[in-house]
Amino acid sequence: MKDYAKIARLMKSDWDRRISHDYRFWMSDGYRDDEAMWESGERDFQIITEGIQQPEQKSILDLGCGVGRLLKAAVRRYRHVVGLDVSEKAVERAGKFLGENPALTLMVGNGYDLREFPDASLDVVLSFAALTSVPTDIACNYLKEINRVLKAEGVFRLQLYVGEEQMVEATDTLHLRCYREENFRRAAEAAGFAVEWVKELILPFKVSFEEIGVVASIASLRKVKVTETPAEAISVLLLPSGEMQTTRPAEEPSGSDLEGWMALKYAEELAKSGDAARAAETLEYVERYCRNITIDTSDLLGRIISTIDQKPKSPVVQVPPAPSSPVASSELYEKNLRALRDKFPKVAQLLEGTQPSGNGEIETIQTADGPVIFFRGQCLDHPQKPASGAAQWVKRTLSEKRIHDAKGVLIYGFGAGYHVEAFLGADARKIAALEPDVEVFRTALATRDLTALFPRLSALHIGPSIDDEVLDGTSELAVRPQSQAAQPKHCAEVRAQFYGSRGLNLLQPKIAVMGPLMGGTLPIAYYTSKALVDLKQRQRLYDMSGYKPGYDLFDQFIFDKVRQVQVQGQYVEMLSQLILDSVSEKPIDILICMALAPINFRALTELRKRGVITVLWFVEDYLRFTHWQSCAKYFDFIFTIQKGPCIDALKAAGAGEVHYLPVGFDPILHAPQTLTPQERERWGSPISFVGAGYHNRQQTFASLSGLPFKIWGTEWPECRPFDRMVQEKGRRLAPEEYVKIFAATDINLNLHSSTERDGVDPTGDFINPRTFELAGCGAFQLVDERSLMTELFEPGKELITFSSTNDLKDKIGYYLNRPAERRQIADRARERALREHTYVQRLRQMLSMIYSSKFEELKRRADSSAWGRMLKRAEPHPELSQRCQAAFERGDEPNLDGLVADVIAGKGKLTETEQKLMFLHHVRKQIIRMAVEEGRLKQ
Amino acid sequence: MKKRFPHKDKVLLVNITRLGDMLQATPTVAGMKLENPNCKISVVVEKQFESVCRLIPHIDEVISIDLSMTVRALTREGEGIVDAYEYLSDFVNELRSRKFDYCLNMSSSAYTAMLLQLVGIKRNGGWTSDEEGYRVIESEWARLFATSVFHQNRQFNSLNLVDVFRCSADVERHPDHLVIDVPEKDMEYARQMLADAKFTNRGPIISIQAGASQGKRQWAPENFVKLINLLLNKLHARVVLIGSAKEMNIIQPIKDGCNSENVFVAAGKTDIAQLAGILKQSSLLITGDTGPMHIAAAVKTPVLSMFLASAFGYETGPYGKDNLVLQPIIGCGPCNPNKSCARPDCHFHLEAEAVAALTEMRLNGPVHSIPENLVDPRKVIVFNTCFDQYGFYHQTHLTPAKYDQLDPYRTAYRKLWLDDLGGYDVGTSGSGSLLRTAPDLGNDLTKVIDCANEGVRLIGELERLVKDIASPPLLLGKVNDELTELDRQIEQVGYHIPWLGPLTRMFVFAKENISGTEALELASQMAGVYSDLGRRCRKLGTYLNN
Repeated sequence: MKDYAKIARLMKSDWDRRISHDYRFWMSDGYRDDEAMWESGERDFQIITEGIQQPEQKSILDLGCGVGRLLKAAVRRYRHVVGLDVSEKAVERAGKFLGENPALTLMVGNGYDLREFPDASLDVVLSFAALTSVPTDIACNYLKEINRVLKAEGVFRLQLYVGEEQMVEATDTLHLRCYREENFRRAAEAAGFAVEWVKELILPFKVSFEEIGVVASIASLRKVKVTETPAEAISVLLLPSGEMQTTRPAEEPSGSDLEGWMALKYAEELAKSGDAARAAETLEYVERYCRNITIDTSDLLGRIISTIDQKPKSPVVQVPPAPSSPVASSELYEKNLRALRDKFPKVAQLLEGTQPSGNGEIETIQTADGPVIFFRGQCLDHPQKPASGAAQWVKRTLSEKRIHDAKGVLIYGFGAGYHVEAFLGADARKIAALEPDVEVFRTALATRDLTALFPRLSALHIGPSIDDEVLDGTSELAVRPQSQAAQPKHCAEVRAQFYGSRGLNLLQPKIAVMGPLMGGTLPIAYYTSKALVDLKQRQRLYDMSGYKPGYDLFDQFIFDKVRQVQVQGQYVEMLSQLILDSVSEKPIDILICMALAPINFRALTELRKRGVITVLWFVEDYLRFTHWQSCAKYFDFIFTIQKGPCIDALKAAGAGEVHYLPVGFDPILHAPQTLTPQERERWGSPISFVGAGYHNRQQTFASLSGLPFKIWGTEWPECRPFDRMVQEKGRRLAPEEYVKIFAATDINLNLHSSTERDGVDPTGDFINPRTFELAGCGAFQLVDERSLMTELFEPGKELITFSSTNDLKDKIGYYLNRPAERRQIADRARERALREHTYVQRLRQMLSMIYSSKFEELKRRADSSAWGRMLKRAEPHPELSQRCQAAFERGDEPNLDGLVADVIAGKGKLTETEQKLMFLHHVRKQIIRMAVEEGRLKQ
Repeated sequence: MKKRFPHKDKVLLVNITRLGDMLQATPTVAGMKLENPNCKISVVVEKQFESVCRLIPHIDEVISIDLSMTVRALTREGEGIVDAYEYLSDFVNELRSRKFDYCLNMSSSAYTAMLLQLVGIKRNGGWTSDEEGYRVIESEWARLFATSVFHQNRQFNSLNLVDVFRCSADVERHPDHLVIDVPEKDMEYARQMLADAKFTNRGPIISIQAGASQGKRQWAPENFVKLINLLLNKLHARVVLIGSAKEMNIIQPIKDGCNSENVFVAAGKTDIAQLAGILKQSSLLITGDTGPMHIAAAVKTPVLSMFLASAFGYETGPYGKDNLVLQPIIGCGPCNPNKSCARPDCHFHLEAEAVAALTEMRLNGPVHSIPENLVDPRKVIVFNTCFDQYGFYHQTHLTPAKYDQLDPYRTAYRKLWLDDLGGYDVGTSGSGSLLRTAPDLGNDLTKVIDCANEGVRLIGELERLVKDIASPPLLLGKVNDELTELDRQIEQVGYHIPWLGPLTRMFVFAKENISGTEALELASQMAGVYSDLGRRCRKLGTYLNN
């Protein structure tokens, strides 16, 4: 058994210290006063105990109750409440706050078990913001203990963090632990619980850290059996790699880096708010307990001290400006540049071809280890011990499995080069570096001798642009925290592109695209599916359009609207089940639902339980189609064609990640056409419009009746003036037909639909598919103004916009007689569209975002999938391995049928591997046939 | 007897999935040892039959393959497929290391054929596969096997599959029964079990195998109850109900229906060897066409066997002398073994009283005649099993042969194959004058002979064109098209005129086995196939006519 008592003693002393210093800050998220603390306690208690019935009959334990923030809410509802905490100081204060109450018992625990409680004695156990900081081994011991003390079917509600595992020292009693959800589920099941649900914790302030993949969550566990599994085994399930071996001497009463940093930030806040006394007290706390921290604090300390004492900043040495080119003139710089020219001539050219910006964003400071660089106030290395700080980071980074297993490492952020240097010293693999800021790198050349470093680097990328070379599929990305802090946006982009690109090449998850039953989104589902094929992704299309006729028939049998909706719901339920069964037969990893795809919440929830990443591409106007309000929370990703309020609304509705992603065009289908004279006669016109007869289009186009204008599409009135404009009785056109209209028309009109406006919608934002399709076809278009247009096309150059009906008429008049000008504009639109707006590009963007966020999850899923296991197992057999890989890439299932499909269909001599596979194929067929026949014929 | 490979050294028998098949191979195994005393015989069987193989004399080595595990691995998908692949690779390597010089694959399955292609044994008596994965049947006897079980051809066959196997392996000398060794401990187990049964009757021990592999081949429990009650009352028999535990749903109603202490249920309580012990101590076995029937034949216990539905006595009858075979006469029988039957009318052709009477007769000794009114000869044929002068299993009619309308065809075909494939001098005396009395039959046969002659002519033309480098390719194509059309016609005759089916199917199998890449070599083989067809037609005509 592990020595839990030893760590528990540290927990006890750490928390006693923190409580003595400032209980509200350390235990209760720094609420401004006690009243606010109780309010938050009430709120959090309601969240964590949601749905627990008949509390008045139940006993509840708050494990890690602190000063009793949630206990006050608990005693008002539960028959008996127990508060337990490892900190004597906290329990003492809770007693003072809550006073004598027969329904409440407060206890000081030993910090690692629940020996005070008999078996099966409690109805409910909760832990909010407590187990999250407890070392994993002890947390698992508690999990086992909670299982013991809960009655059968008893409930354990806990707050935890799920997502990317954090590198935390085993003795750290403050740092948040984050576990992979699937590991948590496994551990909980091993501890005798059924996981009822895990859902995101949403509070009025930020509690999740998406940028580092950490999601605050609440979990509900129900005791289903008494576990026999040892806590150590549960711990292995929860955190397979274990926590880092501690660098902290056992039982030393000192705080961690995090504790010191938090205390300093708090001191700064206090100083800024004018509470100099408490700020000074907090500084003393740092001085006393966090003396050994290794992170950069000097700048912060300087700011606090200057705020408190109005003292000058600590000595910062600015690089002395030289008359012409201050840095480039230095001898060191020239020496480094020469070395750079030898190994990375392009980087040297970049530096020589540009002038230092000299914008004052960069400063350097001398430390005992050497100079360090500050960028916009952020030190890019450890400000006092850059060399040892870098060495420690490298040690920590190398212990990560993904880094350990990679063939090479790309280090994000160069700074003054300490980290890169340390990495090269510790690792023989190919190491590349990326510094997003040219001036930072120029400064590094001027301040340190890097001539020995460059020859050992495999690649060096300087500047903000991210080329494909950077996205080396075999390397792993190691992000320096300082550079990430200095360039968060760029770092996120690099991450997205890096993992997105790697994902496209390496992950190859099975992606299903689910279309709607009908409507304009249906072709987008087809284009999406096709784009995935073009991107060589393993995909399948759930084309639901075949079920539309059934859906349409309901109103022939049922006339009551309410009943119609109910039956439609049942129809969707049936289709949802169809998808679930289909996924059971042919598993998928990602489901991309197009807007209005007929799938319900139950199916989405079930799919997520099975580990499927759910995605919605909402290519409709979120204000007109509002069903997202109820379904957003069932999607891990939502991509929208609108920005701003739309994204906020979707996030507020509970969507996982929300990104802007406009629609596009298919360059094979939406391409310039060569028409015969007959086709030109049939489809052509000086002015045309293709689309449905929405209200605003009818209003606007009625006034164009005097012009040579043809209207194509459905839902147009049969009355005048449309009777002479609408072509071929307003039938629906196939894309292959309407591209001919685009080609045969001088001016194609494109008016975004509106059921409310009479003409152009002045608040219109998103861009419809027609805009991209016309551009792709190389057709000239007059399109109504949209707020998102300018970032996709350049109005006036690539297309012409109009703001009103009169404006439209004027522009028609102008462009009708200017064919050359029209041609130029249309050609430019096509160039732009091909460059930026194909569905392949859209899907690449979409997948990049999904893969960058879920790379590890998908990789693990791929590795542990039947295909992953099969590909690995087949490695010793080259031909079999090759066959498996080919079948995998074809999108076949990991079964024998996939492997022999081409052998059966093919001709000629069979290789030995093929013969063996055919043997297995025949064996399976015959044995199964015999079993079936036997069963059948026995009857 | 004509032999392809008279001498054998290291022999591999492949007989993987059926107990009955394994037992039916025992005369071949014994015969092979008789003719090649120094040869080493190894047998590949499915793991579950490994123990049975150890009861068979003359087998030197049993190599088992675990197909159930393989299929389970395949069902797991993913790495399960690689597990199965590796298991197979090891198995193939194991077989290759034995360096067999001859193989007799007694299973017609595609996978055993593929297995033998992988192992690469040069001389084969049964099914194998070529490099492209197509099945190859080199031995004419094995082709006859495939022909005999094809479509409607079964009814024209009178050769027991035991003999066809045997001839595929070029075995002439052989025991006139199946062979199995019952270890003394299993005999003792059986003795004790029968002693513990506490029968009060002192009459003969009669074992009854009521279960069958298919529902349609299983006589109804009420028939068995009636039969057993007759045996108990008339013969004071001691009845042992044998079978597997899985067959208790059939056996228990019989036991309950009889309600007698002289009916003992041994089903589910014995393994194969112990069952053999029970059968050895029984005076007679009443059964369908089942595995225990073959075991009884192997321990020389007389058998009364009912060949219901798809079962056909000539094909798989109890290999031994003086067993009784009951074959219902019905338009649909013997039916397709792969199809179920909702109305097995053939079951009603057999009556418990007749079966009981035949049982009593057989208990008194071999039966060479039966009372005229014992069975309705239009509904059931009663056969006594025997061996012909060439050592081939045969069945003698105990009911008037005239009711067995296909008997003349079977007799003629039997002579044809013994003569043409076996090289036996069967004489020219035939089975009647069918062709004289039914001239249409002669015309049909003549059509096939004409086709065969045309085939020989076209091949001659083809050879001439191939040799003449100046001949236009179009002409070559035309001849080829004519040959294709001719082959189609021959094959179709077999479907349209059932009694010609065995001839045309032998032709088709022979054609499928033509191999090589040289045009002239292929043409020469093809010419042989047409001339075989013509010759066999003429011979069949002779045997049908005389």
